[in-house]
Amino acid sequence: MPNPDSIMLWKALKGIICVYKPAEISVKNLRKTLITKLCNDLSELDVKLRYPMPESITNNSDSTSLARQATEISLTTNQSITKSLDLRYHPLVIGPRYRDEDLFVSWSNYLGWNTSGVLLFGLRRGTQVAKFIRENRSTRAYRINGVFGKATDNGFQTGKVVEKSTWKYIKHVHIQRILSSMQASHQKKMYEACGVDLNSQLAYDLAVKGPIRPVDSKIPIIYGLKCIDYEGPSFTIEVQCINENEIYLTNLIQEIGLKLHSTAHTRTIKCIRHSCFTLEHALLQKHWNLHNITENMDKCNRLLVENEEIVNQSSPVLRKGRLAPVP
Amino acid sequence: MNKFSRILYPVSKCNKRFVSGPKRKYPIDPEHERSLPVFQYSVSNENYRRVFSWGNICTGALGKPFHKSEENIDKLKHLQFPKRLTFGEQHQVVTAACGFGFTVFAVQSDTNQKVYGTGINTDSQIGYHEIRKDHPLEVIFLPKPIDLPFKNPVKSKVTKLAAGRAHILVLTDEGLFTLGNNAYGQCGRKVIPNENYSKSNYINHIENIDDKKIVDVMCGQDHSLILTEDGSVYSCGWGADGQTGLEHFNNCSEFTKVNGDIQNEKIIKLSSRSDFVLALNDKGQVFGWGNTEYGQMTLPGGDQQVASPHYIKMLSNLGRIKCIATAGAFCLVLNDNGQVFSWGYGLLGTGPVAELSRKPIHIPDTLFGKNDYQSDSTVIDITCGLYHSAAITNHGDLFIWGRNKNGCLGLGRPEDQFFPLKVAIGGYVEQVICGIDHSIAICKPFI
Repeated sequence: MPNPDSIMLWKALKGIICVYKPAEISVKNLRKTLITKLCNDLSELDVKLRYPMPESITNNSDSTSLARQATEISLTTNQSITKSLDLRYHPLVIGPRYRDEDLFVSWSNYLGWNTSGVLLFGLRRGTQVAKFIRENRSTRAYRINGVFGKATDNGFQTGKVVEKSTWKYIKHVHIQRILSSMQASHQKKMYEACGVDLNSQLAYDLAVKGPIRPVDSKIPIIYGLKCIDYEGPSFTIEVQCINENEIYLTNLIQEIGLKLHSTAHTRTIKCIRHSCFTLEHALLQKHWNLHNITENMDKCNRLLVENEEIVNQSSPVLRKGRLAPVP
Repeated sequence: MNKFSRILYPVSKCNKRFVSGPKRKYPIDPEHERSLPVFQYSVSNENYRRVFSWGNICTGALGKPFHKSEENIDKLKHLQFPKRLTFGEQHQVVTAACGFGFTVFAVQSDTNQKVYGTGINTDSQIGYHEIRKDHPLEVIFLPKPIDLPFKNPVKSKVTKLAAGRAHILVLTDEGLFTLGNNAYGQCGRKVIPNENYSKSNYINHIENIDDKKIVDVMCGQDHSLILTEDGSVYSCGWGADGQTGLEHFNNCSEFTKVNGDIQNEKIIKLSSRSDFVLALNDKGQVFGWGNTEYGQMTLPGGDQQVASPHYIKMLSNLGRIKCIATAGAFCLVLNDNGQVFSWGYGLLGTGPVAELSRKPIHIPDTLFGKNDYQSDSTVIDITCGLYHSAAITNHGDLFIWGRNKNGCLGLGRPEDQFFPLKVAIGGYVEQVICGIDHSIAICKPFI
């Protein structure tokens, strides 16, 4: 019988958790790491609580030599000791209670290999919620750091440099000007992509309400685009968007470089917000343990209850609550 | 080896290949980057402006050559999206004006050729251009210079341009020049019966009025309005609907002072496109006169033709008005909060249902790109064509709506637009000029 505490924890482990994905690791690997970590923790908890060592053998702290010891003891045919040692439920006999295959985990937003930031995982029953969040296509915010002057073949710093150019004439104003123009163009695209006839009264009613979601999950739309930092060749932009992916964002940086009569590549991409989940909810990998994860899950579930439209929405209009800019 | 493969497996995961990211067939040579040349792309001049035009191409008003080819004549008829004008690359365009089927550009130059015209030239409104003797061109497809008799061509500059149905006003440092049709006296000179305007080479010059310098000009359909430095308005031309504001309905062939309610006001801006005139004074109050049959202005007497300026009281609760614009049958005002109001008859910019309104309707700010992501976006300028309107925001975005006559909205589709929509244009829009079926935008380059 597993310990009631581990059962309770296992039963509680269903819902959404928000973790911080470091760059240069795939979401797939991260998921594997998370599962292993959780299962090991649960199994270990189980062992510790279930197996208070019998008094007679507490001197032998080395648990791996337990089996050998047991055989030795049985050889001496001392009945009282063999009774107290029931090897049928020993962890080394039955293996870990919780195995990797038992824990179902799925992600609700896919971040590319080079992207870091907020990532949502659904655990067990929460995989369904993760699916709903994924299919509801909520907005995300990214902070992208780019560098003027070099263009690489893959758009990242790691790529092979294909072109070098000057950048010193680029001022902060120029970046702002091009970004606001791009943003306005995307907002126009937004009306066309929402699947409503532009000549109808419905289109007008939707347009008055503000940003709307595209009808297709394949159309990336940028709602907000601003330059938050420009120093030397490096610049940082904040993008609020929907349906994007890593390649799209690197292409955006390259395009900004081209439009400003220079070249640019991406240094880092960081997802700072996914619907209402921000960096402060995200759990760093070094803090991953049963206690923190259950606490985080509790926090996330409360957020989900507060912002019900993340899971179930009725209108293509973006809600106000989700537009809260990250401080 | 097979025995240890399970132990070695995690070690191989820590291999350099796995740590440094996706695989590369050929490793990057650091020497290659150093050997690359550094490109220096050009940055545009401070005074350089990009000129975009769109709309009806057949009149030649876009400044683009139009060939009647059999196969894609329908495609060529209208330019449904803004296209950059080569003329703008060759000259420093300062301002422009759109008439009924023609366009005039003012450029920076040291010679007499400071104004260029393109489009319909039936009344010599864009100069006398003959291909052989006594055979002047009636349509011009590329901007051609209009020689104006400057005293000092090097120093003088063109400050304002205005174009009516078939006449233009060119305001320079050396006074006002008027060209084109003078059938109603709109050029400010005496009407000559049976004058042949298509072969006319006459340029009227008015240096100043009542010893006051002219600061702004505005053309309606067949009337002209000028504003002097002390804020008084002078008008001439066709007055059948009272659009001259001279308290009579006759034509006037000489610039005469407009009295009425604006007699003691300092007017700073005028707007007229067809036969209704709006005037804005320095206190942010609006006055109107002319043909008001579409509810542009409601008077207690119910007169539709108003021949003297009247204060428009219904705008007093909208705050201080910053900018005004009139189209054929509707009006727009912009207050200092950046809110745009429209009233009259036509596509007012508030959806397909609103067609006629005697009271100003607020066009929601969200339609001009103001939302939570861009909360500082405000409208700074508004303009009207005959059937369409345009607004420019402080971010240099151009929003347009109205009847899409011959593609003059530039939205890339042939249908009318019932609410403001951004025009995809490659520049930071500074000025937009709307004609009857074409539009011109003068933009700053992004860099």
